[in-house]
Amino acid sequence: MIPLIGLIAGIVLGIVLEPSIPQVLQPYLPIAIVAAMDALFGAFRAYLEGIFTDRIFVVSFISNVLIAAAIVYVGDQIGVGSQLATGVVVVLGIRIFTNAAAIRRALFHA
Amino acid sequence: MTQRGRTSTSVRRGAQHRGQAAEPTTAQQPPPMSQMPDASMDLLNQISRQPVDPDYALAAARGTDSSGGRWTLGLLAIIIGALFAVAALQTTRAAPALQSERSELISRVQTAEREQDQLRGRVTTLTQEIATLRAAALGDDDAARVVESRIDALDPVVGNVAVDGPGVLIVVDDSPSAAADARDRVLDIDLQVLANGLWEADAEAVAINGHRLSGLTAIRSAGDAITVDYRSLTRPYRVEAIGNPRTLQARFVESSAGAWWNDLAQNRRMRYEISDVKQLDLAADPGIVLRRAGRATS
Repeated sequence: MIPLIGLIAGIVLGIVLEPSIPQVLQPYLPIAIVAAMDALFGAFRAYLEGIFTDRIFVVSFISNVLIAAAIVYVGDQIGVGSQLATGVVVVLGIRIFTNAAAIRRALFHA
Repeated sequence: MTQRGRTSTSVRRGAQHRGQAAEPTTAQQPPPMSQMPDASMDLLNQISRQPVDPDYALAAARGTDSSGGRWTLGLLAIIIGALFAVAALQTTRAAPALQSERSELISRVQTAEREQDQLRGRVTTLTQEIATLRAAALGDDDAARVVESRIDALDPVVGNVAVDGPGVLIVVDDSPSAAADARDRVLDIDLQVLANGLWEADAEAVAINGHRLSGLTAIRSAGDAITVDYRSLTRPYRVEAIGNPRTLQARFVESSAGAWWNDLAQNRRMRYEISDVKQLDLAADPGIVLRRAGRATS
């Protein structure tokens, strides 16, 4: 319950406060969000399988976001930023879909 | 590697739990290397085989106590929500900015075009002024009259002055199937052939969509459009030519340009209409400038 309330509170806070992201970090925000979604879906699936652990989720989320942003940052420095971003999105996208399918099967048995 | 092995066994155990109808993505045992259809697909296979962080299973097996993480989890959820909201806000903010940037560019282009028109008009005025000054400078003797008559004969041919008179109007356009086949479109070379054919048929003055052609006019394609004097044309293309009304059309049709366009009209079904016109008014070519001037040695 806490995560759901936190998520909604975060969205409301973000809309109300409108914190400005530094210009330098702006290109990495979408990638960070995709990584966050991946961590979220993974966590939810782990929760449904009964093996969810807070600590693992926190660590996996932070490392996911940081690594995804770092990959894109390094790619930007060597001139293949958009390609690496595509790679990150593809890999995380596959995981999101797989996890979402498993969640759907676990929830609706279909 | 031991970690990965342990995860797959635990997942498989879970699958057996739920019976045979378990999901294939997790229940599938990793196939042995010899049966692998393509070893390079291993990365994608592994991603879909092991989508959940293996540490979850590990921690669950260890039975880690997680009471302290509740508040961290809530904080993280708030951060994630804020991330979503901020990113969505920024994207929706950026859309009108892009739109206004685009419309500003368009208005800048239009301003530049208006300025260009003004400058062209100024060129025409100044050309007329040059003609007046020239006439005044030449004076009124016999030699001057010879020069003036030569100027009068050459001016219309080079496109330096506006002319009117009878002539032909040729309207050409892409064929209806141009969207499907790029070869059915009118190309710059087609208009070049058309203009050259008209010169060949002794046309005195030629204009395409109101742009007077001179010996220095470039007919080229730029992007999707054909440009005359570096100004893009819009379809259909109206080619006007002033010349001897009795011979111009016949001679054009007989020329190689006429054959070229007959071929285009018949085989590519392009629009190609040629008609006599009693009165055509062609403006001067504003692109003509004085390139060489010298003091008369008389």
